[in-house]
Amino acid sequence: MAELLIDPKIRGWVFLPIVVITFLVGIIRHYVSILISSTKKVELTQLQDSQAMIRARLLRENGKYLTPQSFAMRKHYFNNEESGYFKTQKRPPATPNSSAMLTDLVKGNFINVLPMVVIGGWINWMFSGFVTTKVPFPLTLRFKPMLQRGVELQSLDASWVSSASWYFLNVFGLRNIYTLVLGENNAADQTQSMQDQMSLNAAGQMPQDPKAAFKSEWEALEICNVKSVLETVCEDLLASNNEPISNNIHH
Amino acid sequence: MYEDLSWSEAKDLLRKWRDDNERKSDEVVQIFEYCLADKIKKLGTERLIILEQVFVAALDCSRIKLAEDCIRVLISEFPESLRVMKLKAMLLEALERYDDALDVLESIIKKDETNAAARKRKVAILKAKGQISDAIKELCDYLKKFMSDQEAWHELCNLYLIEGDFTKASFCMEEVLLHNPYSHLVHQRIGDIRYTIGGQENIEIAKSYYAQAVKLNGNNLRALYGLYLCCSHIATSKAQVTKRKEAQKLATWAMSKIFDITNKSSKQQQKSSKTSTGNNKNSTDIEALEAAFGNLDAKLN
Repeated sequence: MAELLIDPKIRGWVFLPIVVITFLVGIIRHYVSILISSTKKVELTQLQDSQAMIRARLLRENGKYLTPQSFAMRKHYFNNEESGYFKTQKRPPATPNSSAMLTDLVKGNFINVLPMVVIGGWINWMFSGFVTTKVPFPLTLRFKPMLQRGVELQSLDASWVSSASWYFLNVFGLRNIYTLVLGENNAADQTQSMQDQMSLNAAGQMPQDPKAAFKSEWEALEICNVKSVLETVCEDLLASNNEPISNNIHH
Repeated sequence: MYEDLSWSEAKDLLRKWRDDNERKSDEVVQIFEYCLADKIKKLGTERLIILEQVFVAALDCSRIKLAEDCIRVLISEFPESLRVMKLKAMLLEALERYDDALDVLESIIKKDETNAAARKRKVAILKAKGQISDAIKELCDYLKKFMSDQEAWHELCNLYLIEGDFTKASFCMEEVLLHNPYSHLVHQRIGDIRYTIGGQENIEIAKSYYAQAVKLNGNNLRALYGLYLCCSHIATSKAQVTKRKEAQKLATWAMSKIFDITNKSSKQQQKSSKTSTGNNKNSTDIEALEAAFGNLDAKLN
């Protein structure tokens, strides 16, 4: 295949502008998110519930170091039918459309999704159909749809990168540069915020409904049957140290 | 000794201590005065956080003048901040104006119910005033809300120990244990408390906890002594014969271990002077030990 020669104007008017635009958009996103972010206000009951959950979990995990009586006492505190913490504390089910959460959602969308769509769309429209650069190693045909979006040419070698793909490479690849410029934990990076959103959807659901969380913790504690290690620790100690003693004494 | 640090070195050192939560108040104040006081503008973004650090350190060293200078800057920077208000309360505490400090803390809590630090400072004020029972009440209220705060449980345990309420103290210490199940010191502490309560059952529990502590750290001399005391108590009590036998065995072992440890340190001292007598000493020690256990046997029978 004949070697392609790219017009230097493409470098000046497509390749570099895309880099600069994505970089600047990231910076702007960082500052906008600082401007409109609000510290989340935590309710006291919410805090109390989460602390109780932590304590119950620790009791399940490390309860074996307590005497059976102490363990039973704590289990009673959480699980007793009449007076247990998990039974008596009635929390209203969380209302997901409370205004605070809604504004959070809108803000998140405003910072993350909107620029992605608008800038991405604009770049696609403005700079579509250019072959901008070439990766310095050969690639298989599989990479064609990834690296050559917007340029559907059968005969073009797969290591050429189209302008739309160059934009996406920049979006995902500028993270380290942002860290360099803005410091750690900046809000400029899109991939980070997307990960956050995903994990939020997976794990964030849990504490929103204290009733269900209480129920599961209650169940876990109910079936948790610990064997106190205190009963056997003396024998363990003797058994594990029998050898060295006899050596020491009958030296 | 800190005079010849450059200001950036001083800054890094302070940051390190801040991150590691080290309470080197004297050094912090010294570094600040020698290296940073006249270059405070150069610190940039870290300026205010260093001022906060120096403020707390200054209170520790009773350098009220310096503390007032620090907090004046902080207040002018953040007039509304709860964090600065807490510092203000700490300054009032240091001046022993406890009621004013309590007022400030109350207003913090009113603004932010979830502010744990302000609630804990209230307990600290009551403790400083010597009203231990009030402090206990306040701390219990706090722990009802923030029940996985192990620092608070530990403090409550200490307060109960001051009051002599050992059963409740052991409850609190158990709570700390749930957070740090692998700390031999916590196990040893519960052993101490249980042994102090006394009674057959508690001493057996104490024995188990001491044994656990020894298992986690074989060089914990206090736990070994505790184990020995518990075991010899059980061995001379009216417990079942098998239990007494086992306790005696454990006591023997604990004692030999204690000898090992104490000998090792004394041997290291002797090593420089004489090596030959060290062996002799060892054997005489063992003889003494065997004699001691002979006594124990006699008591048993």
